Amino acid sequence: MKCFSRYLPYIFRPANTILSSSCHTEANVLPSGLLPSGQNKLGPWCSPTGSPAPLSCETGCGEGSWILVCRLLVPTQVSLLSMEEDIDTRKINNSFLRDHSYATEADIISTVEFNHTGELLATGDKGGRVVIFQREQESKNQIHRRGEYNVYSTFQSHEPEFDYLKSLEIEEKINKIRWLPQQNAAYFLLSTNDKTVKLWKVSERDKRPEGYNLKDEEGRLRDPATITTLRVPVLRPMDLMVEATPRRVFANAHTYHINSISVNSDYETYMSADDLRINLWNFEITNQSFNIVDIKPANMEELTEVITAAEFHPHHCNTFVYSSSKGTIRLCDMRASALCDRHTKFFEEPEDPSNRSFFSEIISSISDVKFSHSGRYIMTRDYLTVKVWDLNMENRPIETYQVHDYLRSKLCSLYENDCIFDKFECVWNGSDSVIMTGSYNNFFRMFDRNTKRDVTLEASRENSKPRAILKPRKVCVGGKRRKDEISVDSLDFSKKILHTAWHPSENIIAVAATNNLYIFQDKVN
Amino acid sequence: MEVQKEAQRIMTLSVWKMYHSRMQRGGLRLHRSLQLSLVMRSARELYLSAKVEALEPEVSLPPACPSDPRLHPPREVESTVETATADGEQPSPEPMDTQEAPTAEEIPAYSAPRPAKVSRKRRSSSLRDGGDAGLVPSKKARLEEKEEEEGLSSEVADRLQPPPAQAEGAFPNLARVLQRRFSGLLNCSPAAPPTAPPACEAKPACRPADSMLNVLVRTVVAF
Repeated sequence: MKCFSRYLPYIFRPANTILSSSCHTEANVLPSGLLPSGQNKLGPWCSPTGSPAPLSCETGCGEGSWILVCRLLVPTQVSLLSMEEDIDTRKINNSFLRDHSYATEADIISTVEFNHTGELLATGDKGGRVVIFQREQESKNQIHRRGEYNVYSTFQSHEPEFDYLKSLEIEEKINKIRWLPQQNAAYFLLSTNDKTVKLWKVSERDKRPEGYNLKDEEGRLRDPATITTLRVPVLRPMDLMVEATPRRVFANAHTYHINSISVNSDYETYMSADDLRINLWNFEITNQSFNIVDIKPANMEELTEVITAAEFHPHHCNTFVYSSSKGTIRLCDMRASALCDRHTKFFEEPEDPSNRSFFSEIISSISDVKFSHSGRYIMTRDYLTVKVWDLNMENRPIETYQVHDYLRSKLCSLYENDCIFDKFECVWNGSDSVIMTGSYNNFFRMFDRNTKRDVTLEASRENSKPRAILKPRKVCVGGKRRKDEISVDSLDFSKKILHTAWHPSENIIAVAATNNLYIFQDKVN
Repeated sequence: MEVQKEAQRIMTLSVWKMYHSRMQRGGLRLHRSLQLSLVMRSARELYLSAKVEALEPEVSLPPACPSDPRLHPPREVESTVETATADGEQPSPEPMDTQEAPTAEEIPAYSAPRPAKVSRKRRSSSLRDGGDAGLVPSKKARLEEKEEEEGLSSEVADRLQPPPAQAEGAFPNLARVLQRRFSGLLNCSPAAPPTAPPACEAKPACRPADSMLNVLVRTVVAF
């Protein structure tokens, strides 16, 4: 398996250019992490260097311990590190006007998604880039390296745009990435920013044609007068190259900001949802989309709620749900009518009057909704809780989990520092038995639905020593703080885990903490 | 009193956030603005209901307390703004009307369940007729104070007026509504001759902010 980290400095090249080279292969890495014969040192992406040794930690989830597999940095940091190596690299990096602070802002990961087999992991960031990681293949002599993810492809998905008509800047931040199921050798994914959805094809190339008659080896045209013989071009093997090309661009269909995309189980259509409307697209048609939900009131002064998330049912291609800022979920059936303004089911839990506070309306807004893999349940995340709903029961959720209830008394401060508007995501594990969501201070929480146990873990490098057991974290709410507990007031609210992903079949999770991507694995595996 | 201060602080904070959200990359976020307007509305209701509670034991006393003028001007401003914009806006009943009604009903002095628009007008007219002139500081006095104040009101008014085109495309109503309402506020002629403000003078920031915030709450929901 080759290492693809060397091409990371080339991230600013156009997306459809060749993006790869290799800096090392497994065979020639010395135990110290250096390459023999003084070759360039491995980039921090490469697992033998830089990442901490596997850790183990206890979980209460009944699935064994969680090990940190690798911590992956964003490309910009890596290119800064490798600047001393290569003049060409430095030129490319310096030609862009990014100072350190701006680069850091653009490197914040804004979405994480495993593909359907779990072999690939895609991340999108605020700078409009998509980075795809591929799982290390199993090999007999490197058992401990199994489960690690290395960079597979990097491309610039969206660029900042300016809407001249409205004098508005359109952010290039990738809001969501969704994979399509694999149907041939290439991989397809949808990525979206606030206004435009793009379908990307990621494919490998390991052969190239050689022996053209009219072109020489560098691609320059040959003078026909110099050609004396004819030959047939042949395909010769070459270093593996991964290229990403935009295959479709679905633009100009949303007035408001796109917050979700969801691929339908028919694999022919998908939907995109903004604050007030949901559109249904066919993958082949980019200049038209069907509007299936429209909650825009005739008089905008009467606006009371917006759409916050939407998802298709995993098996029924006619069913989808969307959540609102009022804490309600609507399930719609597209067979009922073309415009699904009338819901088929309406999920709402009556508000607990004892919990009513000044900011009740804000914290009840649902930030994420996810179907279970079985399709029987939906999970919703609002600011303080995660709720699991049975599709057959609309009046209340079947399970409610408190993520960080100790923040309930701090809502005013959280409003002041804007943290109350954070949109946390939630994920199911492959068997729908465990759910996971993020919190502050780089904490993330897992809830086992069967054993009703939960655990708080931290994604941070400060607290992880090599070979140390990473203990579950605990937040102290009362007066007396125990030794390993952290008090609510010392929580760092700038370190938040909004985006997480769970491997579809194994206990491997990806946790995005600002510009770091942590991959944890269940030790039992 | 603490409740009032806290509510006012949150109102001011919300307005500040709303103003700054316009400057963010990517333009106005509808969801964020809606949430801010919800908080502002809750804060305002809390503030007004807290004032009512303070007002209740003193309803029979001569109105030397600053809470009175603070209570009345918001209604008056709204009614003025309402009438000023009634011809421009659609005649459909606005949601703020129905929201005004419950607030009105909270106040024991105006407990009759009348239609919202009518009750607003009646309240202001009853103020003009029955109360002392000192109860109702004139709009001009208030406007002068507001113009003196260097705070967010004039700043926001100035900055919101120049780029109507900016908001035009995404939220066409916002710019028009803001323009109309701010120009209505600044241009309307005083109904009564300027009178001396009540003895216990509220901080200049408070009273203008009241009317400002009321208007802003309405207009934010409008877009």
